[in-house]
Amino acid sequence: MKLRFDRRSVLKGILGGSAVHVGLPVLDAFLNTNGTAFASGAPLPVRFGTYFWGLGLTDTPTGGTRWVPTTVGPGYELMPELEALASLKDKVSVFSGFRAIGDGRANLVHWTGHASILSGVAPASASKFDAPSFDTKVADAIGASTRFKSIDIDASVSRQPVSYSTRSGSTFASPDATPLALYHRLFGPDFQDPNGENWKPNPSIMLRQSVLSAVTEQRHALMKGLGKDDQLKMDQYFSSVRDMENQLAVQLQRPEKAEACVVPQAPNDPTRISSVDVVNANTKVMAKLLAMGLACNQSRVFTFVHTSGASETYLAGQSKIYHQITHDEPTDAKLGYQPESSKLAGEVMKGLGAFLTELDAIKEGEGTLLDNSIVLAFSDTGYAKIHAIENIPMFLAGRAGRRHKSGQHIAGKGDSVTRVSLTAMQLAGAPIGEFGVGSMKTTNPISEVMA
Amino acid sequence: MQRLLVGIASGGRTFMTKTISVWALFGATLLGVIAAGAATPGPAQSPAMKVGVRRITETQYRHTIADVFGPAIRLEARFEPERREEGLLALGSAMLSLTSSGFEQYFALARSISAQVLNEKGRGIAVACEPADASKADDTCARQFVAQYGELLFRRPLASAEIESRVKTAGLGGNQAGDFYAGLELALTSLLVAPDFLFRIESAEPDPADPQNFRLDAYSKATRLSFLLWDTTPDADLLAAARSGAIHAPDELEQQVERMIASPKFRDGASAFFADMFQMDGFGNLVKDPAIYPKFNQSVAESAREQMLLRTLDLLVTRQSDYRDLFTAHDTFINRSLASVYAVPYASKQPWMRYEFPQESERSGILTDIGFLSLHAHPGTSSPTRRGIKVLEIFMCQATPQPPANVDFSAVQDSTKGTVRGRLLDHMENEGCSGCHRRTDPLGLALEHFDGLGQLRTMENGAPIDVSAELKDVTIEGARGVGEYLRNEPRVPACLVRNVYSYGVGVKTYGRDKAYLAAQTQAFIASGYRYPALVRLIATSPEFFRVIAPKARSSKPVAEATVTQLQSTAE
Amino acid sequence: MERSSRVAVAFAALAAPCVAMAAWTKSYVVEWNEPAMYYGAKTGVIDPGTDCPRGTNPEIDWVKVLMDAGYTREEAEWLRNPANPTRSAVHGQNQMAFRGKDRANVYVNPTSTPDPGLIGVSGTLAEGIDLDGNPKTGFTSPHGERGIDNNFYKTVGCWKTYRGPRRLSSGALQFNDSMRNGAWTTVIVIVGKGNDPMNDEQVTVGFYVSADKMVKDGNGNIARDYTFSIKPDAKYEAIFPARVTNGLIASTKPVSGVLREPAYWPDLELERAQIKLTMQPDGSLTGYVGGYRPWRDVYQGWVNARGPVIEALTWVQLPAVYYALRRNADYSPSGARGEKTHISYALRIDALPAFVMTPDASQQAAVVDSYKSLAPPGSTRMARVIPRVIDGLYIDPNATHQAGPDAVILPPPNVANANQ
Repeated sequence: MKLRFDRRSVLKGILGGSAVHVGLPVLDAFLNTNGTAFASGAPLPVRFGTYFWGLGLTDTPTGGTRWVPTTVGPGYELMPELEALASLKDKVSVFSGFRAIGDGRANLVHWTGHASILSGVAPASASKFDAPSFDTKVADAIGASTRFKSIDIDASVSRQPVSYSTRSGSTFASPDATPLALYHRLFGPDFQDPNGENWKPNPSIMLRQSVLSAVTEQRHALMKGLGKDDQLKMDQYFSSVRDMENQLAVQLQRPEKAEACVVPQAPNDPTRISSVDVVNANTKVMAKLLAMGLACNQSRVFTFVHTSGASETYLAGQSKIYHQITHDEPTDAKLGYQPESSKLAGEVMKGLGAFLTELDAIKEGEGTLLDNSIVLAFSDTGYAKIHAIENIPMFLAGRAGRRHKSGQHIAGKGDSVTRVSLTAMQLAGAPIGEFGVGSMKTTNPISEVMA
Repeated sequence: MQRLLVGIASGGRTFMTKTISVWALFGATLLGVIAAGAATPGPAQSPAMKVGVRRITETQYRHTIADVFGPAIRLEARFEPERREEGLLALGSAMLSLTSSGFEQYFALARSISAQVLNEKGRGIAVACEPADASKADDTCARQFVAQYGELLFRRPLASAEIESRVKTAGLGGNQAGDFYAGLELALTSLLVAPDFLFRIESAEPDPADPQNFRLDAYSKATRLSFLLWDTTPDADLLAAARSGAIHAPDELEQQVERMIASPKFRDGASAFFADMFQMDGFGNLVKDPAIYPKFNQSVAESAREQMLLRTLDLLVTRQSDYRDLFTAHDTFINRSLASVYAVPYASKQPWMRYEFPQESERSGILTDIGFLSLHAHPGTSSPTRRGIKVLEIFMCQATPQPPANVDFSAVQDSTKGTVRGRLLDHMENEGCSGCHRRTDPLGLALEHFDGLGQLRTMENGAPIDVSAELKDVTIEGARGVGEYLRNEPRVPACLVRNVYSYGVGVKTYGRDKAYLAAQTQAFIASGYRYPALVRLIATSPEFFRVIAPKARSSKPVAEATVTQLQSTAE
Repeated sequence: MERSSRVAVAFAALAAPCVAMAAWTKSYVVEWNEPAMYYGAKTGVIDPGTDCPRGTNPEIDWVKVLMDAGYTREEAEWLRNPANPTRSAVHGQNQMAFRGKDRANVYVNPTSTPDPGLIGVSGTLAEGIDLDGNPKTGFTSPHGERGIDNNFYKTVGCWKTYRGPRRLSSGALQFNDSMRNGAWTTVIVIVGKGNDPMNDEQVTVGFYVSADKMVKDGNGNIARDYTFSIKPDAKYEAIFPARVTNGLIASTKPVSGVLREPAYWPDLELERAQIKLTMQPDGSLTGYVGGYRPWRDVYQGWVNARGPVIEALTWVQLPAVYYALRRNADYSPSGARGEKTHISYALRIDALPAFVMTPDASQQAAVVDSYKSLAPPGSTRMARVIPRVIDGLYIDPNATHQAGPDAVILPPPNVANANQ
């Protein structure tokens, strides 16, 4: 794996009065993202993220749909389960009718759907992906110049923290699962205010780098004699070490000023209740922190989980969880769909509404942070009752710095979900031309929404 | 040189008094002289095979730090989530690596530990030598420190290159900060984030008695033993047995195993094993609906976990009793929080007390502990299917396949009209569902007198709850019935045996292991189903140290890590 | 997690300890207690109602009060201005104390100022107990029982800190919050010799304190079924002989006893005390403990809480409280002709089922006995709720200005102008 910076560059620095020669990375390399970084007058960077919620939206085989707009193209009408997105409708494109294609592999319930969207292939076993999730590719492409390559968040108040971001397919990221944890990651002791005066490089950071170099120097000896699987594990380990080295290197550079950046107060953590109103409130608080973290250039890439697949959330006061309701509730003969499930779907979408609103609340340049972002929001399933992986709801929110011709409804007509994933990657500025495996392999993004 | 030798040999403290070896200096080599004989640099990493890379668990990390640096070191960090494979986190650890955020956590933790170890108070204890000038680097003393702690942390002696790169770091830091100990902190941090510490890297060497085959090297054997029996890094005694090679001899092995079983640390090892096997993770994040279960809070969740462990360890380690009693015993442990959930008085001023339920009570065995019942339930209700699945998975090593994708529940009743039982019995009629549900649900249905928090209730929605269940040709009545069923089911002890073995070697079991496991199970039963005896059996059996070449899986014949001597003493 | 602790495990007796003494036992923990104040308005906390036709005692014009006490208008306005250095944001304006005759401290010497007049309750309904057995003296209960003796309510029932519906007066909220967060715990043990807890002629009810804190459940309410051990106390204990009829427990004989009160004077010393408690279908216990209490203690409690603060926050002149309590005091322990040092009072309590154990925690308390003899010495001293209060004032030794009868009120002209 190629190192991102050149170790042989040496900077003679004056630290504490004595000259010290320490190997420092050449940093121009990082700032080579999408053309320019933060030199005054340059365009603001596009941020990319994924947003996941569990149990889809209501669209039944008997014809009741509560989310698919009737018209195709710009100016779609707002369907009942999308009401939470009303104020941001113009910045959101809706993708219906896209599906995950298993190529003979079993549909692993509450897994295959979003695994296909993220990794491009239906996995062979539950709890693993068979390829890295594509957010890691985007992070590699555009996330190198910030302190964090990616921020992973879980707002679901679940038993185990949930993240679907993976490089190896078996190890998933450890997300920040509470507002306070997220706050500490973004604005804790190692935070450097980009708008702060009197910035000076911190000599202890160079020493931390030497700690890591003592580790990486052993890499060759370590890899000798390892079996293939173990080599992959060690590769990921060393790649994580490199990410840390990168973080340290970024911290030795004077940060560019970020107008919209205002350091927030530390939040309170909510009580641990997983009812949907609390999860939505949690989503809002964490979205706010994330938005400010993005505005302060701590990261350009994020992954966000609102509720996990087969989520355990519930309406406050009721004993049945959402997942159970999607299976137990009979379809109303007159309405053509399950009313309780639909109600919960609407509640869950409020989380997405709150999330996008927080991103839209930060003014940046001539627009908002949301205008400079592209968020792929998606679920694990279409019609949850039967674990359908057809018609999985997907949205692209944010204008991606004007690259995204937002506000359209695109009908997939059975196309692979990977087309939407590829579109998202390209709107984020990652130079990726092809995504997916087998029947889900595609080189064809959805050009209707791309400027 | 001579002066140097004398000066160092006579001064300083010796740590490992058992063996003192002195290395002569040859030319201007990088090797330092170390008077405290234990920490001698080992040979350069051998070209032998590395047969396993497993990330250490949170408890293993914590125990190691406490054993190497003392219990006063505080560890405040979030550890990367572990992964369960075939029922064990120990198997999942073989698939895990480290994400960037995980590494960040370990890095911050390493810095914090190093700062605590080498602070003004700690450095006197931690550092055996004195620097020539405490405001500057001192390579010699740094080298000694790195070699000593490196061996304890890497669980093997360090190669000279590994030592030198840390000495360089220590020198850089010491000179730049004007403080020798600041340099040492950096070196120690570097040891604590190294893959050799964070991962258990097991090596195999050619077997001297049978050079075509491989055996686990001495340090890898010591590590396996130590993690199985004590859940921590090998102690001085075990390291010495590895260093001298004695550990390859069966007598020495048996002696070590006996010593370790007799030690109080055996309890920690058992605690870690059962926490893994009984899947006692998730209590920290357990969520219940406060409107339905107001008595639930974090303290109750933590107590519930502790209760299951206390019961298990008391029965299996302290009293060395019959494993099967775990499912039928009426006595358990409670504390004040749990007493309120059980709605019984707490008659003690101690934090925990032993509590015995009356003979006719439905509370019997670990399955009726609040921990098991609440963990495998929903936030607002019980879940017979979940509980049934977990009983099979945890205690009988039987995994349940995923549900089919296109399941339709339109025939199912609304739960306010009947009991949960009625709903589930419909599954058992449905062809697509019955295969699995007929196996899983009966065990859970028999536990239905306990709600989603584990509280006793005999009515649901105004109707009495029927807790009889049909499992193939057996009728099970209530929680006591489930306990009796598990007590008599031969797959239960076999599952424990399989788990101890897999946990210890970090590898899944396959068809070829059947005979071995069956034999161990027989011996376990013959011992009276005693856990310490089982651990002894497994740890002293040749298969415990067997080596599997990394790439190939089942085709190659297993290279048993024995010499002919061992084979003759084995049954 | 840390190494598993070598747990000290106690062997308990069997799960259901022998209760040979009584035929039945019920035990509770008090999760809410407040002086019984009947609220006669429809909504809110201060609105006019049948209890207080003009609503709660109104906010006081302190400038006028000070001027009536002899300060000039300029001085009075200076003292009341929050920006001025003699006034502490936390402890109030100490000079307020010195408004008696010859600038006496009115908190210490309330009769040094004329009675400002605390408006009391003029309605006919009150909650509590008929303490003197005379249906003609006192109020009528909301359920029609006559003769309820509660002159404490009559006196302070229109005072802002006491007035309000159940659990909503500001005083009750403040103190119960503190109690529920662990400041103290009161437990109740009820034993009966008969077979039926709902009907039994021989019942004893004991009130004790416990060192074990209450625990809140997931909704913020006090959780049921926790275990508490009785803490022997030389002071806090009250034992009532009683009978129960259809679930209503009533005293058969008045007694003396001391309860922990949720107030600034924490000792509720009751003479001729009785109880009236109802066992509710959901297992909880609600009702009253009534008796005659020393009225001066109540006054002193408020003074100890810093006179200026109490007066400003609760809209009262403390001397008015003194006069009113003295006026309404209705009992003398030394007989009909003695000085009326005590006033009739009722404490309203709500209690939840709990396990109450003997002091060594070894078994459930099965008899209602006195534990005073087991109390450690020194537990008779009363806790000071707010330390360092002297004569009703918090004295800050580092303050540049000290209040007092001779204090100069206004600063010299040039300083005053600088502060404009």
